Formats: sequence, structure tokens, C-alpha cells
Amino acid sequence: MTSAFDLREKPKTSQDRAAALRLKNNRLGMTIFQASWIMVFLALIVVNWQLRFSYAQWPPAGVAPFDPLLPTIATLALLVSAILVRRGWGSLRRRAIDAFSLNWRLAMALGIAFMMIIVFEFINVSEAALATQYGVTLRLMTGFHLAHALAIMAVMLRVYRGARSGAYGGGDAEGWAVEGTAKLWYFVVVAWLMFYLVLYWIR
Amino acid sequence: MATIAVPLGAEAESREPDVVARPALSEYLRWSVDHKIIGVQYGVASFIFFLVGGAMALLIRLELLTPELDLMVSGAAYNSLFTIHGTIMIFLFIIPMWAAFGNFVVPLQLGAKDMAFPWLNAFAFWLIPPAAVVVLLGYFVTPAEAGWTSYPPLSTLFSGDGQTLWALGAHLLGISSIMGSINFIVTILNMRPPQMTLWRMPLLCWAVLATSIIAVMATPFLAGALTLLLLDRVAGTTFFDAAGGGDVLLWQNIFWFYSHPAVYIMVLPGMGVLSEVLSVHSRKPVFGYRMVGLSSMGIAFVGFTVWAHHMFTSLQPELRIPFMITTMIIAVPTGIKMFSWLGTIWGGKIRFTSAMLFALGFMSMFVIGGITGVMLAALPFDIHVHDTYFVVSHFHFVLFGGSVFAIYAALYHWFPKVTGRMMNERLGRIHFVFTYFGFLFTFFPMHIVGMLGMPRRVAVYDPAFTSWNQLIGVSAFVLGFSTFIVIYNIIRSYYRGPIAGANPWRALTLEWATTSPPPVTNFADDPIPFEDPYGYGTEASAAYLEAVDAAFDRRGARA
Repeated sequence: MTSAFDLREKPKTSQDRAAALRLKNNRLGMTIFQASWIMVFLALIVVNWQLRFSYAQWPPAGVAPFDPLLPTIATLALLVSAILVRRGWGSLRRRAIDAFSLNWRLAMALGIAFMMIIVFEFINVSEAALATQYGVTLRLMTGFHLAHALAIMAVMLRVYRGARSGAYGGGDAEGWAVEGTAKLWYFVVVAWLMFYLVLYWIR
Repeated sequence: MATIAVPLGAEAESREPDVVARPALSEYLRWSVDHKIIGVQYGVASFIFFLVGGAMALLIRLELLTPELDLMVSGAAYNSLFTIHGTIMIFLFIIPMWAAFGNFVVPLQLGAKDMAFPWLNAFAFWLIPPAAVVVLLGYFVTPAEAGWTSYPPLSTLFSGDGQTLWALGAHLLGISSIMGSINFIVTILNMRPPQMTLWRMPLLCWAVLATSIIAVMATPFLAGALTLLLLDRVAGTTFFDAAGGGDVLLWQNIFWFYSHPAVYIMVLPGMGVLSEVLSVHSRKPVFGYRMVGLSSMGIAFVGFTVWAHHMFTSLQPELRIPFMITTMIIAVPTGIKMFSWLGTIWGGKIRFTSAMLFALGFMSMFVIGGITGVMLAALPFDIHVHDTYFVVSHFHFVLFGGSVFAIYAALYHWFPKVTGRMMNERLGRIHFVFTYFGFLFTFFPMHIVGMLGMPRRVAVYDPAFTSWNQLIGVSAFVLGFSTFIVIYNIIRSYYRGPIAGANPWRALTLEWATTSPPPVTNFADDPIPFEDPYGYGTEASAAYLEAVDAAFDRRGARA
């Protein structure tokens, strides 16, 4: 069990110190994990980039460029969801459960909207594009990103239920599950922004 | 003025028990979150894989005793054999073996009670057995034939389902490596005692930190490459097939962006071991401590800028010189370490223990591996010896001469701490002689046959190379025999070795300031590190060691 305390206050008891260390470890571990795993996304960008050089032009001749309209709407939804996740996390720290629930629910709804748009994009790649690496890399990258978004959305849902049932207190240590999940969602956002630029804007 | 403080753990324990209290052997077969148990689990599992991979190497040498195919039914069977040999040695032996020493020693050196994430630590280890089963299963189904580097199109169009299993297994091993590395970084950065600043941290910890940074940043690239390989093999994509708009060099770029830094994942911890062993066994402070620590980081950083030297023959000409330069630059931090080690033992009271002999063996072999590395970095020479036995010789000097010698040095150095008993020094020295000369005569002649033009990865070769290959083959069996000596020594010493006591080497780092083996929580209380982990030869260090001795009532054998 962790005791409820805020890291901004100096921990006094040995139990608090242990909890503070655990939280410090969790935060650093999460940062390293994010820095590490973003490299997979970077690797896929390298793949995209190198495959472009297999063609005289990009998109290849006879293939229409992807329309960025829907992905742009999805990106905006994702960005707003990240803001809401941050607000929800802040609300929980203030023990404002209702505000947390509202923000978190909206964030999840926007996240689901994002995923639905991207699934639509995934499915609707033209035959001409799929005959080239232009379409295949889009499916590779969006599919890879979707898998992550879906998994982290499942975690968000679990955290939401936990918070509603009062599993997380107001302290930093007790609220780590919420903080960690929020940071994972930021990861989804950053990874998507990289892909979005490469897939839809950089030609 | 030095502060002499007996580690609190030592005070609290007060006296070493007469009988060494060790975990039951069955503890090592179960899920455990104790970093010491996990360290031994890693070590034993890796060593078993070393034996399997070594047996395969001997089969390779047996085949090469004559220039014709005689042992293997086909060239494809030979391809499969060296593929699984390389895979086992790299992914299942060397990398996990360093996780073994890192797990056991690093938290102790930091004075921590465990790793930062004990559960994750155990999970990272327990991913290895299923990954190994998947990889080895592939060998018995329709084996991978593309070498451990798995270049397409060999790995996409010309390998059986074993290649798919190989990729899945490598995926799992990569995930294990990333999780383990995150744990090491957090443990090292967050769990040091307040008195231990980064600049007072043992150099093994510096090396493990640098290694872990490489692993967390580079291994995801391998994950990316393996994902594409799997998709090409099972989902009909053509990322590596030029006929489908793919690029066959794509794999090489991504794979080597991981795999060249992976060389340093395999060597850097060994360098950390060297700094520990050379300093302790020559009773001298590490020469240029800060530069040694920083050079580990330097190697980690520069290691990311050299990958394309593996593709010199297929690389765009304008990129060759830049990669040649970065490759040569990496010799600088490596050279710093080498000169530091020489400076460390220079004028020291050298004790030629088995650990010290293997550490010195590392230095001599790694210098050869390093120099041939610089030779290969030189583009004209590289093109001349590309895909010949010269390259095979080079990387074995780096990976066997470097990693394995350091692993043995670490084994002899920390075995007393792990088991509470000393290894037999006479057997250790015999083991060293057989290993050193067996290794030298196995791999040094490969330089010559390589420069004479013998290609690697062939079972049938020009009869003009027969004598050389017979010399190499016989030496390889001597090297193989040497392994049985250390196995016998380990088993014998585990049961009948003299009691080691807490600090048989009279070392200053914190792992020696607790009982051997350490209790479950490592130290009875928060330990206080000596101000300089390598400050031998000072009054303060002598007083510190006397205090530790008195606290533990040191007894038993000392080398």
C-alpha cells in the first residue's frame, strides 16, 4: 500500500520515502520507456523515407496523394483529447472526481473518434496506392499506431473505472496509474503527429 | 580527509555464519523477484546456451576440417548451423549473460535492496526461455539459413518457416532486453545512496548504464526491422523485395542501426568488469576514472553513427568516407579505456588470480580485435577482405576475446559473492591457459586465411586452405575442452570450495560490504559507501577494509 502524499512535500516517514522513491522510479521508467519505444515509430519513418527513394516520385506516378482532410480532423481530435486527459489528471489530484470523469470520458470519446477515422483511412486506401509502397507504408504506419492507441485506450478505460470506484487518492503516489496512463496517451499523440506529418504533408 | 564508515549492513550482521546460507537450488527454478536469484537464473541459462552454441561451433569446425562436404548433408544444412550458432551466441548467451552480472552485482554496488522494478526484472528474464524455445524450434522445423544477420532476400525468399520463428523469438528477446535496460537505468540513476554521486559510482555501473542506454535506444529499431520481416514473410508485403517496390538494403540499414550498437551492448559491460578486476587485483586506483566513465558514454554515442560500415560494398560512394571516419573515431574512447587499464596495473601489486589472468587476456585479445576493427574501417582494406574469414576473426576477437574473457574474469571475481565459496585457483589458471591458447590458435589464423581470400559462410573451400583449417579446427576443440574445466571448477567449488567470507579480495565497492552470499535484502541497513570505490593504497582505505574485516570476522581462503 502506498500512503497518500504529494511529492512537493518532503516525505517524512520511511514508508513515505519508499513511496516517493517508487513514484520517482515509475516516472523515470516511463520517460525512458517512451524515449525507447518512440524509436520504433522513428524506425518506421525511416522505412517510409527510404522506400520513397525506390520511386522516381512520391507518391508514385499514377497514384493520387492521400487527402489530409479527415486525418487533420482526427489529429485535432487527438490533440484535444490530450488536453482533456491532462485536465482529468489534474482534477483527480484535486480529488474532483466528477470533473475527472467528465474530462476523461470526453478524452476517450475523442480518442475513439480519432481511431475510427484512422480505421476508415486504413480501409479506404486505393488499389493503385496499395500496389505501391505508398499505400502499403500508410497501412503499416497507421495500423501500427492504431494498435498502440487501442491498447492504451483499454488502459484508459480501466483507469476510468478505477477512479470512479475511488481506487486512486489525491496524492501523487496513489494517482500514478492515472498519471502513467495520461503519459501513455501523450505518447500516442506524439507518435501520431510524427506519422501524420510524414504520411500526409512531407512529399 | 577521508571519512571512514563501516557499512551499516556489516555492523548489523556482525559475524559471518560458519555455514554458507544459500538459497535452495529449487529457488532458481521458480519465479522470483530477488535480483540475485534472477542474476543467477540469467547466468545459468546463458551458460547453457553457451554450451549449445559452442557445440554448434565445433560441428562447424568439424565440417571445415576437410575442404569437401562430409559432415553436413548439404550447404543449406551448413548455413542453418552457423545461423543458429550466431543467433544463440549473441541473443541467448552474451547479451543475457551481462544481464546476469548486472542483475547480481549492480544493486549491491549501489547499496540498493533490489532493482527499481523487481517484477519487471523477473518478467524480462522469463521471456527468454520461451523465446529460446521458439528460436530453437525453428531450427528443427525448416531452419533459418540467412545467418544471424538475416539479410533479405535470403531471409524472405530462401528460408523456411524457421526464419519466421527466428524473427518471433528475436522480437521477444528484444522486448526482454528493453525491459531489463529500463530497469538498470532507473536503478542506477535513482537508487544510489546519497553519498554516492555519479562520479563516485563503480565503473561497472557506468558501463551498465551506457549499455542500457544503447539497448533502449537501438533495440526498438530491431523490433521495427523484425516486424517488416515478419510481414514480408507471412502477410505478402514486399518491403525488402525490389520487384514489389521495396528495397533490399532497407533491412541492412535498420538492422545495423541496432546491431552495430549491439556490439557495444556485448562489450561495454565487459569493459566495466575489467575496470573492477584490474583495480582490485592490482591494488591500484583506476587510472583516469572520469575519463573511463565518460568513454563508456562516448562509445554509446558514437556507436550510433557507424552502422553503415557494414554496408561499405553496397553503400553510396559519397557516404563511405563519413562512415569510415566515424568508425575510426570510436577507437578513441576505446583507446582511452585501454590506456586507463594499462595505467591502472602499471606499478601495482598485481595478483595473478584467475580473474586477473582473464582480465589481462581480455586486454591482449581486445587490442587485436580493436586494431583489426580499425583496419576494417579503412575502406580499401574492407573491400579487399569483405565477407572473408578476416571479418570472422575480427568479430570473434571482439566478442569472444572481449566478452567471453571478461565474462570469465567476472565469474572468478564474483563467484565468491554469489555462492559464498571460493573457486579453485589452480583449476582457474589451467582453464585460462587452455582458453587463451585455444582461442588464439583458433581465431588468429583466420586473419591469414581471410586475407588469402577464403570466404566466410562456405562449407566447401579451396583445398589450399586445408592445413590452416585443420589447425583452426584442432584449436577449436582445445577451446571447447577448456569449458569443461570451468564447469568442473564451478560445480566442485560450489559444494567444496573454501568459505569466501564477505570480502575475499579486499575490495572497496559495496557488494563486498555484506555477507557472501548477501541476505535477501542485501544489507541489514542502508550501507555507506567508501568515498572512492577504487581508492586503494591509502590509509583511509586500509582502515575501511580493517573495519569491514572486523565487522564480518573475515575467514576462509584468500587468493
